[in-house]
Parts: sequence; structure tokens; C-alpha cells
Amino acid sequence: MSDVRCPMCSASNPEDAEVCASCGARLKPLVADLPSPEGPTDWEEKPEPTEGEEPEEEDWLRRVRAQAESELPDEEAPEEAPEDAEAPDWLGRLREVEIPGEEGPPEGEVPDWLTAFAEEAVVEGEPTEAPEPDWLERVRDQEAPEAEEDIGEAEQEEEDWLARLKVEEEQPPEEVFEEVPSLEPDVDWPTDEAEAKLEELLEPEPEIEEPELAPIPPESLELEPAEVPEGEFPEAEMPLEVEEPEIPLAPEPMDLELPKIPKIERPEAELPPEIEEEVEPRPSEIEEAAEPIEEGPPQVPALIFEEGDEVPSEDAPDIDLDAIELPDWLAELKQTAPPEKEPVEGVPLDIAPATLPSWLEAMRPIDTFRSVVEIEAEEEQIVESAGPLAGLRGALMAEPVVAMPRAASVSAARLEVTERQYAQAELLHRMVEEEDRELPEVRAERARLPLVRWVIGVLLILAVALPTFLSLQSGEGFPLPILRPRDLDPLFDLVETASIDQPVLVVFDYPPGYYGELDAVASPLLEHILSRGLRVATLSTQPTGPALAEGLLNRLSENGQGYIHLGYLSGGPTAVQLFVASPREATPKGFNLPEELERQTSWQSPILEGVSRLSDFSMVVVITAGPESARTWAEQAYPWKGDTPLVMVLSTGAEPLVRPYYEALEPQVDAILTSLPAAVAYEQLIGSRGGAHARWNGFGAGMFSVELILFAGAIYGVAGWFLSMRRG
Amino acid sequence: MRVRTTLIWAAAAVIAGFFVLLGYFIDHEVIHSIRLVLIRWVVLLAAVALFLGLFNLLSVHWSKVSEQVTGWPYSAVLILAFLVTLILGLVFGPDNPVSLGMFNFIQLPIEASLMALLSVSLAVAGFRLVSRRRDLFSLVFVGTALLVLLGTGPWLIGGESQFYILVGQVRNWLVQVWASGGARGIVLGVALGAVLTGLRILLAVDRPYGD
Amino acid sequence: MIGIDYVGIAVLLLFLGLLLGFAAFGRRWPMVLRPLRGFDELNTAIERAVEAGERVHLSLGTGSVIGSDSAPALAGLAMLSRVARATTMSDKPVVVTAGDGAMALLAQDTLRAAYERAKASERFKPISGRMLGPTPFSYVASLPILISTEDVSVHLLTGSFGAEGALAADFGEHQEAFVLAGTDDTQSQALLYVTAEYPLIGEEIFAGGAYLNVGPFHLASLRAQDMVRVLIVVLILIGTILSTLGVSL
Repeated sequence: MSDVRCPMCSASNPEDAEVCASCGARLKPLVADLPSPEGPTDWEEKPEPTEGEEPEEEDWLRRVRAQAESELPDEEAPEEAPEDAEAPDWLGRLREVEIPGEEGPPEGEVPDWLTAFAEEAVVEGEPTEAPEPDWLERVRDQEAPEAEEDIGEAEQEEEDWLARLKVEEEQPPEEVFEEVPSLEPDVDWPTDEAEAKLEELLEPEPEIEEPELAPIPPESLELEPAEVPEGEFPEAEMPLEVEEPEIPLAPEPMDLELPKIPKIERPEAELPPEIEEEVEPRPSEIEEAAEPIEEGPPQVPALIFEEGDEVPSEDAPDIDLDAIELPDWLAELKQTAPPEKEPVEGVPLDIAPATLPSWLEAMRPIDTFRSVVEIEAEEEQIVESAGPLAGLRGALMAEPVVAMPRAASVSAARLEVTERQYAQAELLHRMVEEEDRELPEVRAERARLPLVRWVIGVLLILAVALPTFLSLQSGEGFPLPILRPRDLDPLFDLVETASIDQPVLVVFDYPPGYYGELDAVASPLLEHILSRGLRVATLSTQPTGPALAEGLLNRLSENGQGYIHLGYLSGGPTAVQLFVASPREATPKGFNLPEELERQTSWQSPILEGVSRLSDFSMVVVITAGPESARTWAEQAYPWKGDTPLVMVLSTGAEPLVRPYYEALEPQVDAILTSLPAAVAYEQLIGSRGGAHARWNGFGAGMFSVELILFAGAIYGVAGWFLSMRRG
Repeated sequence: MRVRTTLIWAAAAVIAGFFVLLGYFIDHEVIHSIRLVLIRWVVLLAAVALFLGLFNLLSVHWSKVSEQVTGWPYSAVLILAFLVTLILGLVFGPDNPVSLGMFNFIQLPIEASLMALLSVSLAVAGFRLVSRRRDLFSLVFVGTALLVLLGTGPWLIGGESQFYILVGQVRNWLVQVWASGGARGIVLGVALGAVLTGLRILLAVDRPYGD
Repeated sequence: MIGIDYVGIAVLLLFLGLLLGFAAFGRRWPMVLRPLRGFDELNTAIERAVEAGERVHLSLGTGSVIGSDSAPALAGLAMLSRVARATTMSDKPVVVTAGDGAMALLAQDTLRAAYERAKASERFKPISGRMLGPTPFSYVASLPILISTEDVSVHLLTGSFGAEGALAADFGEHQEAFVLAGTDDTQSQALLYVTAEYPLIGEEIFAGGAYLNVGPFHLASLRAQDMVRVLIVVLILIGTILSTLGVSL
């Protein structure tokens, strides 16, 4: 089953399709008894009508007549089409379309002449006359001899091509004109009348001379239009005249319909070559053209007004073919009109190719508009060889810009680089290069010896150690202090006047780190206390205090007697508060108790006999490195000590903060002993050369070294400061 | 009504602190008794907290040893020394010669050495002070330190001269007047800060009771 | 008979009133804090440490939780809450050390709260708050190991220190870490002035909460401190003048 070509978009459709799949145009006419698209589309292949079956082309005539009796079709005409299922939609749509601003048959308005023609046809029963176009006259003249012979056949042919015209007019549905319906004769012409009309139309025009239809010499073509006899056209403009000397005469409307069909299939043999090229079998168009239109006959090109054309006045009573001026577009259309179907034998057709006015073309669906597209035969179409449409025929060619290779412009080949871009590109290039470059293995940096720290450390060690060894052997060294600190005498007096019956409470409140200093400072005092026969009870708020106390007192005492350890007092200042308020409850157990006190508490020792409060002690000595502990004891013990003196043995750093307690108007501290020089002086006072003296030379050398170091550092810093300021 | 447990603990802490504080200002037997009881509980809790801290110490070093992170041998030595000391102390007692020996021959020298290291570090820091911190206060600091050192330590030469006595007196004046006064001012400021920090805690608007 | 120390109670009420008053109405009078180099650089140092994957170490000192040496440690806890918040999501969050068991427990509690606030409770590790040693020098002896093995680049000493504080700061300087050190002991402050890069002198350690915007009560505390300090200065001057003039009080 062969495909059917859409008359509008030339798309292939199945045979049985009624509408085009791509553009929606009707492929089959709506008239039921119209032959199928694949039916006889060729003029030569027109089927013979069966007996009793009127030719389908005549049906439309009948309908035209019937309608002519009725009112002029209005815009609802297309809606009446459904009554007749065969009525083409395009015709109805054409009637509804408005083309503002464009000249042309106004919507709904029927040319007066046609109206008059129709009325006259109704009234008079005679077809109205319209001015016959010149070309028509010439054709008539040419075909006149044969016209009579072939009238019968011509009628048949007329109807065929009329039917085809109807089909072809399907191409621009919008092209169906409002005014066209009025073209249809409102006359229900009987066949006789049609024939009579045809005869009238086919009357030879004496003005049209045969020679004019003959090939016109070129110079005649140069004649101005005025010189051309009316109705005379150069052969080039009227190729159809040559091949179709006889116009397939039909009532006026039939003639008018011709130009609407842009391409009419014509018998190749009878068509001029130039027309043959344009021929495209459009059976569907022809079929639809032949489709009887309820609203009226197929469109007549002569009545399709282009811009500037004059609308025929309504007063034109008759259609006078002689008076019809063939518009220019019709002349042009004749040049480009496709070959018609081969007319009836002996009856050459001379139908001008249809051209559409602009306003009509505007109504054409854009996507299906291919008014002048030349669709090649399928066999001649190029087969797409590349891309997704490879192997398909009829594919649109690619845009020249895309498909055709272009030579690069000169400017594109030369890269313009600015300085900044160049610099950035260089930088990027270097960075990328560095990534590729193998970096040498970085050896782990050896730990650098902190030279300054080592030098100072060695210096200090030597400064402290050497004098200590040397002085032990030679006894020489730093001179001993010649002045006694003013705080030493009160302390000495306190110890001298302390009651022997009451023990002395010594608090060891310093960490082991301060052992070196505080052992040396506290030794002369404890030595003095022990030498007087005073009993000592030790206490500590540090966990390591009792051990420190044991070590110092064990060294100072004779045979390890004369002292007792109350132990570790946990709880910090809170515990001190507890102790000063109630010593026996605060320290239930002792530390390193003698064997005789095994399984007993320290308070059962004879050393602590009769002691139950802080004031029962003869003296309270607090050995501490931090001012906080000293202040705690000074503040907590003051309310509870009574007349018991409170003595502070301090590290040098704690002196500034504890001295105010000693120098206050109501001192809370009765005596202080601080720093090694005071300890050396104390030893000198008691006539002992104890630990303080042993540390004196080392202490002096160390101090001297530190002084040197600080001085050097200050000079170095200031010098560097000045140098950096000079450098700016 | 659901009450957050943290609020309960905060309320308990606030009430306890209030009573202890009140005991400083009001001399009343009942308040004193409550205060004493609370303080004793604090002492007990401090001892328990010491145990918790030691347990925390062990767990940290144990995890270092088990995970073999950097420096895990030192952690292993610490755990070993801890256990040995604990066992010996539990077995012999803290005043046993063994325990005292460990203290006298291990802990005491180590801590004394750290103190000596401190003096070296301070000497180095003093040497670098002016070059690192180039301002007037650094110069004043170093100058004052020199004066005090000169006035405190013996002089190899001229230790019996009048100049040495004069320097000594200048040193005493610096320490007992300027240093003492400045330290007092700092102590006052620290005391103010400590009071307000304590008040914030007692009002439960600061850690550990509040945010 | 009940003995009442009216002066003490008055002073206590004065402090309370100032603290509560400034906390409630302090916003009306914007407070200008004098720049402290250490706190100004602290944020940058912590950010750098977090970005570099290094650790922040905060020390609460060697003081115990009972006694007057707990105050700077409690101020350090307030700073810890801020620092912990900044480092919860770091690869190496902050580690807190103390020389006292109770203080280590408080540090753990503060860290846990910070992680909970950051919705990262699963990242909290109890060993982040630890006791390094029960005595000051044993605590300091453990610091070099901690600083080197934990990649500490920010070394904060905010607690009660003795002379060992200078060693702790020196260890941080030796590691080229950012060292911010403050304590309540004046002797230690003198040592820290020499050894630490950013020392906190006097009561500046108690101003850490205000400088780090821990809360409104910290700012109010600072204001109350200033007011009372001025009052004390005035009283001292008056007493000095009166003593000079021979008037006994």
C-alpha cells in the first residue's frame, strides 16, 4: 500500500489516513462519494461513473445550487459542514479567519458582483456573467473548434479538475475565503444551464488572436503592458494556454477556483516543460478541490484579491468574463502553476497556477506552509548520511554555518595575551613544575642544643659546686655578713625566753622542693630550740611535711629524742582552723611514733602532756615557702594563740607579704627569719657553723653568677634595642 | 513537679556555703557546730577527691600504655613506681624506714633538682627578658632584680665596705616598702577577685553549679 | 550572746548588692575593658591551633579545691568552658590538667557540659580532664611529656601556682607554644612575668571570664571589683592622712 503525500506538507502518510500525521490536513475529502486518494487522481485515470451514480463532481454543483437558494453563508457555515460529513474543514476554517489590515475579500462579505451573479442566476435562472479574463478568451478562441466536440467530455474533465482543485485548496485551509462562499453560485444550475454557461464562457473572443497564443517573439515580451492587447499575455506567462487551449469550461465558479490550487497535476504530455518541473502529483489536493463544497464552488483566483487590488464593486450585475481583468498574480501564477492533470483527451487545459495572496498565506499554518517548496521526488531526495537522521530521505539540510567547515579567522589563530595573564600563566607553570620536581629529601632537623641554657646552667652549677668543695677544704670564701639583721634579735630573745615546760609547735609547711633553702634557714632556729631543751611537736599541712620534719629533726637532735610528730593535717586552711581551735581533735594520730607509743596517739606522748589548746604551746614556728600558708597560719592562729609567740621562717620570696604581719601595730607575727644571710647570722649568734655556713660560699657564688647573667642579658637586650632602632 | 537534679545539688551547695560563710560573721554555737560539721565533711571529701585524682592519673597512664602512644614507657614507669610505693606504703606504713627511704632518696632529690632547674630557667629567662620584651618595665624589672641580688648576697670584694651596707639598705627599702606595698595591692585585688568568684559560685551562676 | 560582725556582714552585702545590681542593670552602662594582650591573642591562637590540628592545654594549677587557692582555679574553669566550646569539634580537643583530684573532677564536669552544649557528647573523653600529680613539682614534672606528646601549641596556666608555675611556663616556651599564665600568688606572678609570653598580673586572671564573654555575671564581677577597689583606695588614703595627722581610729 503506497503512502499518500499530504498536499500541505508533503509528508508521507498511510493510505488509509484521513488526516496528515504531521500537519493535520485532511488527506481524504469529506465528501463520501469522492474517490479515494489513491484512486484515480490522474486525469487519465478518472473512473467512469457507474450507472445511476452521478459523478461526484456534480454533487457539489447540486449543493451549490441548493445553497444559492438559501441565504448567503455566514460564519457558521463551517458548522454546517458536519451536516455534510464530507465538507472540508479547511473551507470552514477559512471562512472564520479574519485577516485584519490586509486587503482581500472581507470576511463574510461577498463580492457584490458574485452576489448579483447569484441573485441573477436565481431570479433569471441564468448564470450571471462576469467579465471574462483575457486569457480565458484566448483559450476559448483556441479551443473553440474543439470545444463543442468535447463539451461532454469537457464537462467530465471539468468536474475532475474541479474536484482536484478543491483538494488542492485544502493546502491553505485559511485560504478559503469568507468571500469565496459567495463565489459559489447561488444558483442551482441545471446541467443545461451549466452547459450554456460553459458555452458562453467558451465563446471565442475575437480579440484574442491565435497568433497571440503562439510563441511570442522576445520583443513582444518587452512591450509594455499597455501595448499588449487586452487579454493577451506572453506565452511565457501563460504556458497553460499553449497546452490547454481549451479551458475546461464550467460555470464561473469553476474557473475561479483554478488559481487556488498551487499545484495541479496535469498530464505530463500536455504540459510545458517549465510546468512539468513544477508538477507534483497531488491527488489529495485535487480530490479535495473536486470535493463539492456545500458552501460554494472552489475558489477562483480571479477573485482572490491581493493588496492593492480593487474589490469589484457590488454593483457588478453579471460576471463578464470579458471584463475580468486578470490580476498580475494570476499571470505569475500561470508561470509557476504546476502542471495539471492531463485533461480529457483532446481538451487541453489551460489553468493558471495558483498563487496565494499574502493575507491568505498568512492564514496558512506556519509549520505546514510550504507554498513554494519544491519537494523532490522521493528517489531524487538526498539520503542523509551522518548524524541521527542517517539513512532518511527528505531531511532538512543542516545549516550552512554548522555543516560547512569554516576556515579559522586570522585573529583566532593569534593568541593575545596581556602582561598580567602572562605573569599568571608563568606562575601557574612554575607551580606545576614544582609539583613534578622531586624535592630533595629533607633530613630531620637535629635537635639544636639550647646553647644559652646550657651555658648558664653549667655556669651556675660550677658557681655553686666549686666554692662548696673549695671552701670545705680551705675555709675561705665569701666574707660572712658583718651586720645582723634587725629581725634576728627579737627572735633570739623569744627562743631564749620560751618556757621549757611547754613544747614548741613547729609547722613544716613547705614542699620538698624548698627543702634546700628552708632546711638551711630553719636549721639554726631549731638547733637553738633543741639546744635549750625545748620539746618539739611537728605538724604539717603537706603530705610530705612529716617526712621533711623527721629528716631535719633527726639530724639536729641528739639521739633522735625530744620531738614528736603530730602528723599530716589534711584539709588546708580549713584544717588549720580546726587545729587551732581544737588541736587534739584535729590530729588524732601521729607520724613515726616511738616504740613506746605504739598503738597510741601522739597526744599520749609526754612531750605533749598538758597540751590541749594552741595557747598551751610555748611557741609556734611556721616554716613555709609560700606567703599563703604564712598568712593562713597568721590569721587563723591569731585568735587562738593567746600569748604564745608566732614565729615565721620564710623563703626570701615570701618575706614582702609576711613582713606587714610582723611590722603591723598589732603584729600577728612576733618574729620572722628569712633568707640565708639571716640564717648565717643566727648561726654566728648561737656560735654554730651549721648548714647555713656550709651553703654560704655556694650561695655567694651563685648569686654572683646570676647577677652577672642578668647584667649581661640587660646589656645585650639594650644593645640590640639600640641597633634595631638605628636600622629603623 | 520535676526538678533537675543539678538544681538540687546546686541548692545543697549554696546552703552549705551560706552556713560556712555565716559562721565567719556570726558567733553562735549552733552555727559554729553546723560549720564544723560541714568543714569536716569537706576534709573527708577532699581526701576522697585525692583518691579519685590518683585513680584518674592511673587510668590516663594505663590507657597510654595499652594504646602504646608516644611516651608510653614513661607511663609504664609511672604506673610501676606508683604501685610499688602504694604497696610498700600499705605494707610498711608511711613512717616506715622503707617509705622514708624512698622519700628521702627519690622524691626529695628529684623535687630539689626541679627547684634547681627552676633557678636555671629563671636565670635564662632573666637573660632574655630585655631582648625579648623591649619595654621600660622589663628594664625596671631587671634593675630591681639586680639590686635585690646585690643587696642580699655576699660580695666577693668589698663585702664589708660601706657601699655594700648601702646597697643592703637600698635592698631592704625596695623589698620592704615598694615590693611589699605593691604585693599588698596585688593581694587586695586578688582577694577581691576571689571574693566575687566565690560569691558567683555561691549564687550558683558560675561553674560548677551554673553556666 | 551572739557576736555579730557587722562590718563583715556589711562588706558581704555590699559585694552581693554590687554583683546583683551590675548583673541586672549593667547593660545600661557599656563597659570598656582595657586591652589585655594575652586575651586579645588568645582567640587567634586557639583558632590557629584548631586549624593546625594542634592541642590546647589548660592548667588549673596545683591548688586544692578547698582553701583560698581554689579561686584562680575556679576562674580558670570559667575560661575552660569557653575554650572547650571552641575546640569540641577539633581533631585534638582541649586537655585540662590539675594538681588536685577534686579540681580534675571539676574540669571533667566542665568539659562534659561543653560537649553536651555542642551536641557532641560522644566525643567527650573523661581523660581529657586529668590530675598529673598530687604535689606541685610532680605535677610540673609531667608537663613536658604532655606538651610534647599531645602537640600542645596553646599553653594556658590559669590556677594557683607556686614557683613551679615558672617551670610550667618555661616548658611551654621551650615548645614554642602560646603561653598565657596567671595565678593569685604574687611571687609566682613575678616569675611568670619573666618566663611566660603573656603573663596575667594581679587579679587579671579573675577578669578572664569577662574578657572571654563567659557571662554577664563575670562582667558584673569586674565592675564590682573596680568599685570596691576604688573604695578601698579612698579609705586607705583617708586612713593614711588621718594617721599622718595623728588621728587614731
